[in-house]
Amino acid sequence: MNRLQHIRCHMLAYKNMNIATTLPSPLTTHVLNTAKGVPGANMTISLHRLNPISSEWYLLTTGITNDDGRCPGLITKESFIAGVYKIRFETGKYWDALGETCFYPYVEVIFTISDPSQKYHVPLLLSRFSFSTYKGS
Amino acid sequence: MGSSVKSSSPFTTHVLNTGDGVPAVRMALSLHRLDPRTAIWNLITIGNTDEDGRCPGLITSDAFTPGMYKVRFETAQYWESLGLSSFYPYVEIVFSVSDADQSCHVPLLVSRYSFSTYRGS
Repeated sequence: MNRLQHIRCHMLAYKNMNIATTLPSPLTTHVLNTAKGVPGANMTISLHRLNPISSEWYLLTTGITNDDGRCPGLITKESFIAGVYKIRFETGKYWDALGETCFYPYVEVIFTISDPSQKYHVPLLLSRFSFSTYKGS
Repeated sequence: MGSSVKSSSPFTTHVLNTGDGVPAVRMALSLHRLDPRTAIWNLITIGNTDEDGRCPGLITSDAFTPGMYKVRFETAQYWESLGLSSFYPYVEIVFSVSDADQSCHVPLLVSRYSFSTYRGS
């Protein structure tokens, strides 16, 4: 698929997700299956923001990683305010779909966005019995 | 609450500060079990890591039944005590124990901008 076709696919994906955005999300993720050395495709994930007054998590977006383990359109620039966020990865369901068990029923990565004008990348490197994450760009 | 058990806990952890290449000393942590009927997390133990980044006596063999557990590490508090900021306010690792006869080791390798964990022995 050439780059133009790739971008068109993303635009159609945005439309289908009812996200009226033409700009890339300032927050991105990438799931890698380190056990098999492949992207973590078709994993359900969700993005939440913490309400500092009520201490409750507010669901912003749900999505499913694509064949490349990515999930474009997580959040718009306008919605991306400073605060505490979490991405929840449905790791148990992911491995279950591959016919295997996983030590982690789900993984939640909670992080602080202090400067929403920057881009943030929160990947997940995952196997059945380990995972890691880092602040990328 | 589980800080002076004679036989070793079937569940152990070990926190390493990978930024400085040292054990993470005096990091607060807590172990919780999910009650499947109410979907509420019940606190089992709270503790602090020792000079070696470990926290002995987290749970007794009797209390360590199959189920879903989580260990919460107060990582931001730890980095703040060193005068540093970090990306993660805290780290929670949720895991399933199916065979409670086996010992279960859940270490945390942490820096200001990354962390990793694995199921050890």
